Amino acid sequence: MTLVDVFSGGAAPPQSRTETEGARRRRRGAYALLTPSVILVIGVFVVPLALMLWRSFTDPVAGFGNFTWYMGDEVQRRVLLRTFTTGLEVTVICLVLGYPYAYAMVAFGPKVRAMLTLLVLVPFWTSLMVRTFAWVILLQDNGPAHTILSLIGLGDVQLIRTNLGVVIGMSQILLPFMVLPLYAVMAGIDRKLVLASSSLGARPLTSFIRIWAPLTMPGVGAGALMVFISSLGFYVTPALLGSPDNALISQQIYVQVNSLLQWGRGAAMGVVLLLLTFVVLAVLMLALRRASRQEQSS
Amino acid sequence: MATSTFARRLPVVLATCMLAMTACSSGPAPGANVDLGSGPPKAGTVKADALKGMTLTFVSYGGIYQDGQTQAAVDPFAKASGARVLQDGPTETAKIKTQVESGNVTWDVIDSTNVITAQHCGDLFMPIDTSIVDISKLPPGSKTDDCSVPAMGYGLIVVYNTKKYGANPPKTWADFYDTAKFPGKRAIEGIAGELDPGVFESALLADGVAPQQVYPIDAPRALRKLSTIRGDIVFWNSGAHAQQLVEGGQVDMALLWSGRAYSAVKNGAPFAPMWDQWMPEADTITVPKGAKNPKASMALINYYLGADQQAKLSELTSYSPINVDAKPQLDDLAKTYLTTTPERDKDRFPLDVAWWAKNNDAMNTAYADWLAK
Repeated sequence: MTLVDVFSGGAAPPQSRTETEGARRRRRGAYALLTPSVILVIGVFVVPLALMLWRSFTDPVAGFGNFTWYMGDEVQRRVLLRTFTTGLEVTVICLVLGYPYAYAMVAFGPKVRAMLTLLVLVPFWTSLMVRTFAWVILLQDNGPAHTILSLIGLGDVQLIRTNLGVVIGMSQILLPFMVLPLYAVMAGIDRKLVLASSSLGARPLTSFIRIWAPLTMPGVGAGALMVFISSLGFYVTPALLGSPDNALISQQIYVQVNSLLQWGRGAAMGVVLLLLTFVVLAVLMLALRRASRQEQSS
Repeated sequence: MATSTFARRLPVVLATCMLAMTACSSGPAPGANVDLGSGPPKAGTVKADALKGMTLTFVSYGGIYQDGQTQAAVDPFAKASGARVLQDGPTETAKIKTQVESGNVTWDVIDSTNVITAQHCGDLFMPIDTSIVDISKLPPGSKTDDCSVPAMGYGLIVVYNTKKYGANPPKTWADFYDTAKFPGKRAIEGIAGELDPGVFESALLADGVAPQQVYPIDAPRALRKLSTIRGDIVFWNSGAHAQQLVEGGQVDMALLWSGRAYSAVKNGAPFAPMWDQWMPEADTITVPKGAKNPKASMALINYYLGADQQAKLSELTSYSPINVDAKPQLDDLAKTYLTTTPERDKDRFPLDVAWWAKNNDAMNTAYADWLAK
């Protein structure tokens, strides 16, 4: 089940109660094939996660000390809030840029589509470090972006070492995660529905709001979630494009783990981030489920 | 049913995997007994072929520094002793802690910093064995803890743009913190969690604290002073970054490492150093606790401290040698950036490494919090 399926409200096909012998054997075969990946997931994900959880409650002493420290530290709370607002800004920018882009991919002919796809995928395949350093060069003082802005009389806008610079860099890096799910959903929509609505007298805006937008919601949800959750873990881009006062939670975790050797605190911060991410996920999924249910009933 | 067989088999498979993993980590340490010859050690020497067939891993910070160490000391040591020396890096204290805690130490000789080796002497690092390491040629007062010897000398200094400030350059820490009299951007170290000693001290000295009263450091006061110029600070996050800010003219003053200052000026940046109350710093060389072959590690350190090795290291990196007999052949500019000369000794503000070792975490937490504000 992919993210898109989750948001479209679709579930796995219902299983028939009476399984034939063949089907049962096939299922057993499927489990056998799953074993290596299950072992991998347990070994490199579940076990380390459990160890981290354990450490957050036991290092250096057993108890909630690491969590009370984290919740009580004003600077840490501010960084946590900044991490979520930055993620939200990036998500909105990606949506605003990605939605028309994905629409263009389905609306124009195959040649344009191929070109647009390539334009999304080439940066997607380029190393994160390379793209971040490219942004450092573009955004630096007296760099190209600065020069262009001075030409139109905005010379004093500082880009690098600001939150704006961080958001620009992160949005470019995460844009494919918005465009690709949107495209996947839009490509599957029967565009005759829009034609039908206009033949019934709907204006373009009405067609968009009543027909197109609701049908693309699963893509919006999946894309927004991917962008938002990925942005919560960003480390390199804010470190290079921002100044220390744009630090996000990953950088703070790095400081605790790597420099201060406070592994318990670092683990607690990771646990809090994970829990908050789950909360966001749950809220968004509930909201979208409800929205799609209302759409179906109306 | 299929699910239950699967569930029953899974623990067995997992247990087998775990056993396989733990089996690798235990094993005898090879070559625990090493014959390094008799008599007192002499810096810069090792008994020929004493470590034949042995493998050591040398860890430092990379770049021209580690290349210089390799050329000046590590490779010649490998040749003389017969040991194979691998290179790794950069040094990260968290990695050392992981190795020591798991009992699987793969690093043998580590270049770290004086505060870290002093802070973790005994829990992460082992004492220097002076029956193998000759410390008689170290500059006086340069050995700051039991578990290390200095790796080289350098300083935290201010450089300023000579074109901008012309006939009236900044001369004191008060000038560096005075943006009214000396307008312009300042570069300051902004690596959260890895603050060098010196930044807080500079703020306190600028704020009028007498040099003898700087310790114990009043961090809130230092941060208040730093806050007064925060709008003009560009934070650097690596030595290369600091150098680039100076060379690119993106700042007018910089508080940075002397080696980076020298490189920037050598590359043509119109900057000059301010030596009044400069702060001496040092990397240190140490051996992690639980190292596979401490005697071999100590032998490498003893070789590293030789006069010839230190002279060569200085020529290759522009850092100052830490053997009093070392006579590096340097150009005139590089000579002025040496920090271990009697002239520099006069002007220095001595950092209290022992105090920092005790308060490093508190100071770093305070600075990291201030940075993230």
